[in-house]
Amino acid sequence: MELLLEAVSYSSVLALASVGLSLCIITTKVDNFAHADYVVLGAYAALLFKASSGLTPYLSLPLAALAGGLAALLSYLLVFEPLRRHGTITLMIASMALGLVIRALLQLFADYAQSSLGIFARGFVFRDIAVQLGGARLEMLTVAAPLTSLSLLVLLYLLLFRTRLGIRMRAVAEDAELAEVLGIDVKRTLSLSWFISGALAGVAGVFLPFRFSISPDSGSFILLSLFAAVTLGGLGSLTGTLVASYLIGFTETMLVYGLSGLGVSTALRPLLAFSVITLTLLLQPRGLAGLWRTERGALP
Amino acid sequence: MSLESAVVDVLVLYTVYAILALSMELEYGELGLPNFAKVAFFAVGAFSAGALSARLGLMLLGLSWEGSFKERSWYYATLVAREVARNPLLGVAILSVVLVVAVTASAVLGVLVTYPTLRLREDYLAITLIAFSEIVRVTARNFDAIVGGTFGAGVADVFAWAGGARYPVLLLFALGSLASSYAVYRRLSTSRYGRVLRSIRDDELAALTLGRDVWKLRMKTLALGSALAAVAGVIYALYMGAVSPDDFTVGKTFVVVMMVVLGGRGNPLGPLAGAALYTLLDKALSFAKHLVAIPLDINYLAYIIFGVSLLAVLRWRPEGLIPEKPPLTLRREVVLSYLGEKEDRRTPCKLFIQQF
Repeated sequence: MELLLEAVSYSSVLALASVGLSLCIITTKVDNFAHADYVVLGAYAALLFKASSGLTPYLSLPLAALAGGLAALLSYLLVFEPLRRHGTITLMIASMALGLVIRALLQLFADYAQSSLGIFARGFVFRDIAVQLGGARLEMLTVAAPLTSLSLLVLLYLLLFRTRLGIRMRAVAEDAELAEVLGIDVKRTLSLSWFISGALAGVAGVFLPFRFSISPDSGSFILLSLFAAVTLGGLGSLTGTLVASYLIGFTETMLVYGLSGLGVSTALRPLLAFSVITLTLLLQPRGLAGLWRTERGALP
Repeated sequence: MSLESAVVDVLVLYTVYAILALSMELEYGELGLPNFAKVAFFAVGAFSAGALSARLGLMLLGLSWEGSFKERSWYYATLVAREVARNPLLGVAILSVVLVVAVTASAVLGVLVTYPTLRLREDYLAITLIAFSEIVRVTARNFDAIVGGTFGAGVADVFAWAGGARYPVLLLFALGSLASSYAVYRRLSTSRYGRVLRSIRDDELAALTLGRDVWKLRMKTLALGSALAAVAGVIYALYMGAVSPDDFTVGKTFVVVMMVVLGGRGNPLGPLAGAALYTLLDKALSFAKHLVAIPLDINYLAYIIFGVSLLAVLRWRPEGLIPEKPPLTLRREVVLSYLGEKEDRRTPCKLFIQQF
């Protein structure tokens, strides 16, 4: 039971971050290697909040969302918008450079926090609080993470499919030039979707330190799980990514539990992500979305 | 550090980076597919040296390994080096086996890893390669038997027979490897193979329509690029005298991509210039660390500077320092004799003449 809750909360955190990444891939066609660094940025925003106010990190969700969202917005406006006419490869290289810059900035911040603010900022974790729920004692994370994730994803769904803004966003994703001809402000619409995607990542970042120790370069291992989810989901399908996040989250949790039971090192986590990616590409390159989307390719 | 050893240091690092940049140039500049696992293949080369040099030396000496690899590799590496000092042939044997293993393993791995994605869009390949490079590092870090895990492993000094001149000899070996890599690259680039690669880069569909086996060529090129990176890895490990898995992070791949983009992709001189620029910048930064005391860690600052400069180049000068020119695939005499015989054909050949 505990393991199940654990898996659900990890999967929902994973879903938040990877759906955001998927959104970027659909709207701007950028396989953003810096996305995991927005997650880490969110975690650091939460750390700063916790250290300066002494309150529980859960209250820092809006702050972390803002931090992640602003970082994503800035990356779009400063890096990806000017390069939008270039090919996928150039954009990927740019995102790699961006990720390293964010990582180095976080390292400098961690140095500063450790020496001047006296905050322990490398390999930090948050301690969880327990809540009473219907007689059972649960850890706050197992309640908060799934609830937050679910409500945010429902909001995203409503935004995309029930508002004019959502129609604009989907139109830009479908064909940016055509949308522009029809009078949609492409730049503004894309800015918004980048902000949303970064904000989701930032929120995910608040939950991660409850289970993993976070350092400025944690982005590299988070990134693999994110890309595994996105690839399994079909590279550019939000529903597919959501389902895939849960599949990967469950497998990863069970595997880590099983392996530590057997006494095998759990440091081989990335191996799972890698095998998921290669197997998906070998057997079903269009991912989970290819199972139900048959009339056209998985390509957006 | 004396002036001589400082020069050797800069030059050896330059050759390592230049070979890496050349291999990336072949993949990214000519084929248009950057190998985002460059550091993994570089690591395969270095790990071959780390895992094999001491073991192999011991085997050739007829001794057996006692104790765990992690604890004893430094001791045995020194022991083998002492034997090599007396018997140069042993050093040559170790070096050649290590090179063969590194190149083969790297090329085979390159084919295996890219096989599932060669027929798909390029971003799938990039994702797989990024994941693979993390795997190589994590595996080496967690299995002590390969290169001693976080301890690292000692590399036997195969140039110990040269005594005090071992670094100059190593440098000669490195420069020789760079020269032959460059020769191979130039030969390929100006051949039919190079032309087909560039046609795939510029218009894959057209290349396919004209009957080129795009997938096979991609596989070949990636295998070749990976093998070249492994050679650079061997040189690096020999120079350092040790390998440590944590040395091979994604940041290194980025640095190599940066050299190619900065130098000018598509131009054969681009990667050489890019590697020189990077080595100079890197050395200047670490030199500046001793001169001025700033409250920031210079390594992180360097990454910010490199990242921002790459983004700036991509935005304002995507062709790099030395832009690509149409390569001259015929020898000069051939073109000249052709021009001499048929004066009336001068106009279409203007493009060629401009290059002299």
